[in-house]
Amino acid sequence: MTPHQHSKLDEEEVLLAYSAEHTHDHTTLEHYLREYPDHAQALVACSIELMVGETHSGEIAEVSDEVVERAWQRFQSAVSLPQGESVANPFATLNPAAFKSLAKKLDINNLLLIRIRDRTIDATTIPLRFVQKLATALDATSEVMMSYLSNPPAMVSEQRFRSSVKPAVTEQITFSKAVETSQLTQAQQDALKALQD
Amino acid sequence: MPEPLKRKTLDGTLYVRPPEIEAWIKKLETVDDVERLRQFAASVGHVPTEALIYFMRTAWKNGAHGEFEKIFRILMRRIGLSLCSAISDSSMVNARGIRDEIMGRFAERIAKDCKVRTALLDAFEVRFNMAFAAFRKSALRQIGGSVVDTVPLGEDGDHGLEISAEVEDAAADFLSGDPSILDDPAFRSELMAAINSLPDDQKKVIGLLIQGFQIDSKDESVMSIARILQCDERTVRNRRDRAYKTLKNILQKEIA
Repeated sequence: MTPHQHSKLDEEEVLLAYSAEHTHDHTTLEHYLREYPDHAQALVACSIELMVGETHSGEIAEVSDEVVERAWQRFQSAVSLPQGESVANPFATLNPAAFKSLAKKLDINNLLLIRIRDRTIDATTIPLRFVQKLATALDATSEVMMSYLSNPPAMVSEQRFRSSVKPAVTEQITFSKAVETSQLTQAQQDALKALQD
Repeated sequence: MPEPLKRKTLDGTLYVRPPEIEAWIKKLETVDDVERLRQFAASVGHVPTEALIYFMRTAWKNGAHGEFEKIFRILMRRIGLSLCSAISDSSMVNARGIRDEIMGRFAERIAKDCKVRTALLDAFEVRFNMAFAAFRKSALRQIGGSVVDTVPLGEDGDHGLEISAEVEDAAADFLSGDPSILDDPAFRSELMAAINSLPDDQKKVIGLLIQGFQIDSKDESVMSIARILQCDERTVRNRRDRAYKTLKNILQKEIA
């Protein structure tokens, strides 16, 4: 792998590569910091996460069948997406830093942007002016953006594999509801409500 | 014979599973899928998650989708438990939603690995806990979860000029003494939990100090903490001293 290829790796891949190293000492971390300066903060945070290890909260942990089922549905949706899907996805090329920066640019938080990206919001309820802002920020046209947002949510794509539990269809929520429940500040909520057509 | 991994490390060598994982895989290859699933689900004689991942990928490759789904669900249950511990309800705002999102992202990663076979899960067959901690950290950075503050922030700003003698003393006698104290598992465990509870900026400074980085250097080729964190040397020292004070208080309470 050449240094040029290295620079193309996104944060998640860099951290996973670091985690798979035999040792996690000063030398390894410094090597990665020099190789991937763009991901320095993530690498430092990750090195500490690995050093600290798992700390137990003492809380009683329980994983419900519903939680496992949701993960299974997410798998099914992703595995049944056509290979060309990413081409039409305006978010596809964003790395975590760019994703965060987009949220900041739009004056929203990551949670709302994730909901928009994953199409858990009914596209017909998203204000057109917001779609235009989003399209401009992603260097896409409003048409492409709207077409992407109008696709079914990731969780309700074609079910290719049968599950032992009947899969529940994820209901899309309205833009207003998403704004109210995405932990935005009041000022952010007001600004988004003002965009309503 | 377990199929070798395909991904390479920075120095160009192929990822290699630890011998104990290879041994588990070889052992499990000698039993049928029903017995394997029984062992995966059993709470006694815990099969390492690295081996679980190996057999899940193999099931997909062989078109055994029923077996794949069963292993997938066992894996997700394990991951869910691990996430409950790492992102507890008391440590983070909307912890449940964040755990769900991380599990969902991991499910998508599995799907990509199934579809394009780009060795996306190789790191998880080497050391699962390490790889998943890295994956979780990356996902958390993107999702932007808010930590519930458990440690009061220091009164001094990063650029405060005065550092009390008490804090200086704490800094002097903590860690800077005998590093072998870190070899004591009980102390190390307490210390790591205490470090984990520090505010992020202080945690980074302490983490880098423990890993042997120096605070600052006039030599530009030296990767110092100030250079890595892109702040001045005084800021680093202030964060360190505030962290030392907090750690000392926590550890003294634990010992008392």
